[in-house]
Amino acid sequence: MGTLKSRLVSPLALGAVFLMVACGGGGGTTIPTQTGPLSLGVIAPFTGPAAEFGKLLSAPCVAATDLINAAGGISGHQIACTSIDDTGDAADAVPNVTRAIATTTNLDMAIGLESNTAATTVPLVNAAKIPFFTTNGLTSFTKNNLQYYYRMTPGDDANGAAFAVWAVRQGYKNIDIVFQNNIGSEGNLPGLNAAMPKLGGKIVNQYTIPADAASYSSEVARVIADKPDALIWSADPQTTATFMSSYKQLNNGVLPAMVTATDSLTPDFFNAVKKVVGVQYVTQSIWLVGSYFDQTTPAFNTYKAALLADAKTHDIAPVLSTVGPPAGAYDGINIMALAMIMAHSTVGSVYNADVLKIVLPKAGAVVVGNYADGKAALALGKQIQYVGVLGQPAFDQYHNSAGEFDANKFNADGSATQVGTISGAQVIGLLA
Amino acid sequence: MQLLIEAIGFGIAAGAVLALGAVGFSVQFGMSNILNITYGSLMTLAAYIGLFAIDRGVNPWAALALAGIAVGIASVALHRWLLAPLARRGTRPFAIVIVTVSAGIVLQYVIVAVAGPDAQSYGEQSGQTFHLLGMIMSASQVTIIVLATVLMLGLHLLLTRTTLGRAMRATSSNRILAQSCGIDTDLISDVAWLISGALCGAAGVALAITTVSFDFSIGPIFLIPMIAAAVLGGIGQPYGAMVGGLVVGIATELAAAFSNPAYSEVVAFGILIVMLLVRPRGLFGAAWATRRLMA
Repeated sequence: MGTLKSRLVSPLALGAVFLMVACGGGGGTTIPTQTGPLSLGVIAPFTGPAAEFGKLLSAPCVAATDLINAAGGISGHQIACTSIDDTGDAADAVPNVTRAIATTTNLDMAIGLESNTAATTVPLVNAAKIPFFTTNGLTSFTKNNLQYYYRMTPGDDANGAAFAVWAVRQGYKNIDIVFQNNIGSEGNLPGLNAAMPKLGGKIVNQYTIPADAASYSSEVARVIADKPDALIWSADPQTTATFMSSYKQLNNGVLPAMVTATDSLTPDFFNAVKKVVGVQYVTQSIWLVGSYFDQTTPAFNTYKAALLADAKTHDIAPVLSTVGPPAGAYDGINIMALAMIMAHSTVGSVYNADVLKIVLPKAGAVVVGNYADGKAALALGKQIQYVGVLGQPAFDQYHNSAGEFDANKFNADGSATQVGTISGAQVIGLLA
Repeated sequence: MQLLIEAIGFGIAAGAVLALGAVGFSVQFGMSNILNITYGSLMTLAAYIGLFAIDRGVNPWAALALAGIAVGIASVALHRWLLAPLARRGTRPFAIVIVTVSAGIVLQYVIVAVAGPDAQSYGEQSGQTFHLLGMIMSASQVTIIVLATVLMLGLHLLLTRTTLGRAMRATSSNRILAQSCGIDTDLISDVAWLISGALCGAAGVALAITTVSFDFSIGPIFLIPMIAAAVLGGIGQPYGAMVGGLVVGIATELAAAFSNPAYSEVVAFGILIVMLLVRPRGLFGAAWATRRLMA
C-alpha cells in the first residue's frame, strides 16, 4: 500500500508543481513589468466653466516631465502627460475617468482630482491602485483610509481659518462671507466660523450665491447694508466680475477689500475682474491666501526655470510659480518618479510603498530638491530625502501634508507678489 | 421696506432682459411649434458679435442692433435649412428638439474655438445711476427697460395692426387654412424667425451688458429662466412671455433679497410650478388664444 501511495503522490505532486509554475505561483511574487512610455494622468476640468484648472494643473506636469525625460526618464521609460477631462462635473467625471483608467496605457501616476469632482474621482483612481497627488481641499479627505492618496495642500477648513487670520491681521474685524455655491467654497466655512471669533473678529453675515446669475443686485444691496470691512470671497471669475461691478454701481464706486484663495490667482480671474472694476482695485484691495512656499530655494528655482523653458508653460510661469496646488502637484510627480526608481518598478501597487520613504527625514540621507539629483543619488545607492518646492512634506497617517500659508497680491501685469506668511501651526490651532 | 422696493427695481431690470428673449422664443414656438434649444447658443453668439463690434469702437447699442440683425439672419437660416426640412419629412417633434440641442452644442463649441473659454466683458460700467421711487438702476439697465418696452410695443403693433402681423397670427393658428387663404406661409415663417432671432440677438447683447462679465455659457444658462418665463406666460403667447419675464425676474430678486440667495432661482421655478398647477396653459394661454381667434 505504501508503495502504491507513493506512486500516487508523486504524479500529484508533479502536477501541483507544474500548475504552480504555470500560474506564476511557487510561494513567491512576480513583479509586473511594463514596456513603453509611462502616462501621467492630469485629472482636471479641461472644458466647461472650470477649464482654467486644467490649464493650471497641466503646467506642473509639463515642467516635471520635461525635467524627468531630460534626466533620462524613469528606469528607461519616458513619461508623458495625459489630460483626463473631468469637466468639473461629477456626472461627466465618473465615465471620463473610468474610461481613461481602462484605456490609457501605463497610467501609473496621477495628479489633479480637484474639489468639484474629487468625491467621485478619488475612489476610482485609488481603486485602480494608481498613486496620485490630489489638489482637492475637501475636508472629507482630512481623515481617510485611501492607500494611494496623497495631498500636499491644506484642507478647505484650514484655508478658511487662514483667511480669517489674514483678514484680522489687516484690521478687517467685521467681515461678510460671500461664497459661490460649490463644494470647495462651502468647505471653507467651518474654518472661518471657528477662527473668526477666536481672533476677535465678527462675521456680520454669510451669503451663498449662485454662479453666473443674470443679476446679483439684491445680494449686493444686502451686503452693502451690512457695512463690512472686507469680504471673504470665493467665486469663479465671471461671477466675481458681475458681483463686483454691481457693487461698484450700487455703492457709489466704493468697493470693499477682498480676501480670497490663491485658487483665484489666475489670468482669467485677474482679467475678468480688472476689466469691470479697474486694475487699481485688483492690485491694491484683493488678498489671495493659500499655501506658502519659499521662493528662494534651489527646488523652486528649478521648478520656475522648467516652467519658463517650455513654450507651453512660459506665459503662465509668473502666476503659476506663486500658487500652492500646482507646486504640490509638481513635487508629487517627482516623489512618485523617485519612488518608482527606489522600488525598481513603475507599477503603482508596487512603488506606492516607497512614496513616503522618499520624503521621510532620516539621518545621513542626501537632501534633494529635484528629480535628477534624486535619481543620481539613488543610482549611487544612497538614501534620499526629497524637500521640494513646498518645502519638507510632513505627511500624517492619512497622507495629508498641510504646510504653511501665505498671502499674495496681484501685480499690474497679472503676476503675483507674496506679501506675508501665516503659521500653519496657528491655523491648525484655531481649528481645534 | 427699502430692500423690498430695491429688489422690485432690480427684478424689473432683470425681467426686461428675460422678457426680450422670452418673447422671441415664444414667437418662434407659436409660429412653428418647434422648441428651439439652439436659442441659448444664438444668444451667446449675439453676445460675442457684440463684443467683436464694441472692441472695434462700435457703440454698445449699435452693437446690439448689429447682433440682432446677424442673429435674426442666422435664425432664418437655421429654420429654413435645418429645422423646416426635418419637419416636412415628418421628423418627430422630440427628435427635432434633440437636433436643436445638438446644433446649440456645436455652435457653442465653435464659439469657444474662435473666442476662447475665458470670461469676456464689454468693459467697465461707468454710467449714471438713477434713483426712482426708491429703486436704483444703472443707465444701461434703464436703457434696456426702455428698449424692451419699445420692442414689445412695436411687436404688439406689428401683430395687431399690420397685414403682416395678421398673416403671422393666421399662420400660427392654422397653417393649412392660412395657405388656402393665399398667405405665403413659408415667407411668413421666415419673417417670424427673423423677428424672433433679432429679439434673441438683442437679448444676448442686453444680457452681456447687464451681467457685465460673460463667457461661452451665457446663453444656455439663461435659456432655462427664459423658457420658464415663456411657459409661465403661456407658451406661444408673446404678451404672456413679457409678463412671464417680469414675474420670473422680480421673483428671483425678491428671493435673493429675503431668503438664501443660493436658492433664488429655485424660488422662481417653484412659483412657476405652482402657477402651472393652477393655470396649466400659463397666465395668458386661454385668454390670448380666444382673442387670437376673434381678432
